[in-house]
Amino acid sequence: MSYGSTIKVPFGPQHPALKEPEYFLFEVDGDIVVKVTPRIGYVHRGVEKAFEQETYLHNLYLAERICGICSHAHTTCYTQTVEGLIPLEVPPRAVYIRLIMAELERLHSHSLWVGIAAHEAGFDTLFMYLWRDREMIMDLMEEISGNRVTHAINTIGGVRRDITNEQANKIKKFMDRFEGNVKEYMKVLETEQTFLKRTKGVGILKPRDAISLCAVGPTLRASGIKSDVRADDPYLAYGEIPFNVITHDGCDVYARTIVRCEEMIESANIIRYALDHLPEGKIRVPPPRTIAPNESVGRVEAPRGELIHYARSNGTAKPERYKVRAPTLGNLASVCQTLIGAHVADIPMILAGIDPCFSCMDRMTITVKKA
Amino acid sequence: MEDLIKRLEGYKEDIVEIKRPKERRIFVRVKADGFKKFLSRLIDDLELRHLSTITGVDLGQEMELLYHFSYKYSVEISIGVKVPKSAPKVPTITDLIPGAIFYEQEIHDLLGIEFEGHPNMGPLILPEGWPEGVYPLRKEYTVQELNRIARGGG
Repeated sequence: MSYGSTIKVPFGPQHPALKEPEYFLFEVDGDIVVKVTPRIGYVHRGVEKAFEQETYLHNLYLAERICGICSHAHTTCYTQTVEGLIPLEVPPRAVYIRLIMAELERLHSHSLWVGIAAHEAGFDTLFMYLWRDREMIMDLMEEISGNRVTHAINTIGGVRRDITNEQANKIKKFMDRFEGNVKEYMKVLETEQTFLKRTKGVGILKPRDAISLCAVGPTLRASGIKSDVRADDPYLAYGEIPFNVITHDGCDVYARTIVRCEEMIESANIIRYALDHLPEGKIRVPPPRTIAPNESVGRVEAPRGELIHYARSNGTAKPERYKVRAPTLGNLASVCQTLIGAHVADIPMILAGIDPCFSCMDRMTITVKKA
Repeated sequence: MEDLIKRLEGYKEDIVEIKRPKERRIFVRVKADGFKKFLSRLIDDLELRHLSTITGVDLGQEMELLYHFSYKYSVEISIGVKVPKSAPKVPTITDLIPGAIFYEQEIHDLLGIEFEGHPNMGPLILPEGWPEGVYPLRKEYTVQELNRIARGGG
């Protein structure tokens, strides 16, 4: 029903339903959202300006810290961009190691998200199961790279650590177990009424809107659009590895969940294939310190969707300009559209639906608010 | 790729330069005059639907905008156009690509480029109370100075 007049409801930056600080102003008519105005920037750290101050090698560590979940996606994109500036060819073994880490990261990021989706829908048991599995993936990543979160395995010209046969066997063994678990969770998600009622038909993003609002990643694929940077613009070794691009035509939060679950199974297959076909050879080549004037665009399919970096060099050891556009900013326009017409109670579920990572999205300017 | 380059070369009266550094990457520099008209023709012609992002670069006397379009989600075509720093204005493309809304707003915040016809040129990223006319990504602002401003030093 309509109340004939609307009221404005501020949401955030500190709000129990948001895991990170961001602000949305909702205009609601009764229980229905009619307008959304976002105001981002609450976790800005001035990353783009900071890139201009430091050397290419130093910036690698900065790129790693743009995001706390998909840190490897950012360094993969950073190295791709900077290696494009030089240009520099990376040894094949390093390419495969980067790819294996990227897929492990997708597994841990997607299981984190499906866990959160279950939690938002009030189904905490499943949340616990998924996060248990995620913990084991992080253990594997720690074993390979030495770190759970900021893996620091990528470097300009290759990777810093090799994967041993022992580690490879351990990963393969876990992939079999993990795949079985995901299939089990999918059975639960597809039949559990609590979850279905909170997600089916909720947060509809029509394919037409998904395209025109430039949505990316699982959000776009859950609206039936077959787009994945790994397949459309193959980087690393994705051109050599067979895998499916998962889509779903549900256009709702449920579809986004299923897409991510099926992507986990695909990722497990990619990892197994990559480990079986791991090329021999060295894992890094030394990069030059300074880079002649040039420009380069890097694109990566991060767990949340298309990630794009742009760099311009000027002949020194520091970049002239470095631009980062994280997938969450790419999905902001579409999620604002999706929220219109939704019930207030569904806001957390819909916002969670794009798998928002606000520290990725906010990266831009110097806002050191120390008072 | 070859076909795409050929189609782009058809716009030679608008285009200053075409570069192709590697597979699936194209950089196109175009004239500022009639930029919007050119872009709208190109968008229709090549069916450019996905805008990955827009980059703004401070070049000193001028500023450059790079529109990173993704042709069929595969080939990244970056279209560059320059605007004078003294009067940094460019027409909005939100009527052609609605997804450009936050990218343009962000560039307005950080580099002070006005997008004429944009539905909301208000702040998106900068904090409340940020002094007007201070654009952090412009080269004349050092990190030290921005820190001082952010702490309330005006």
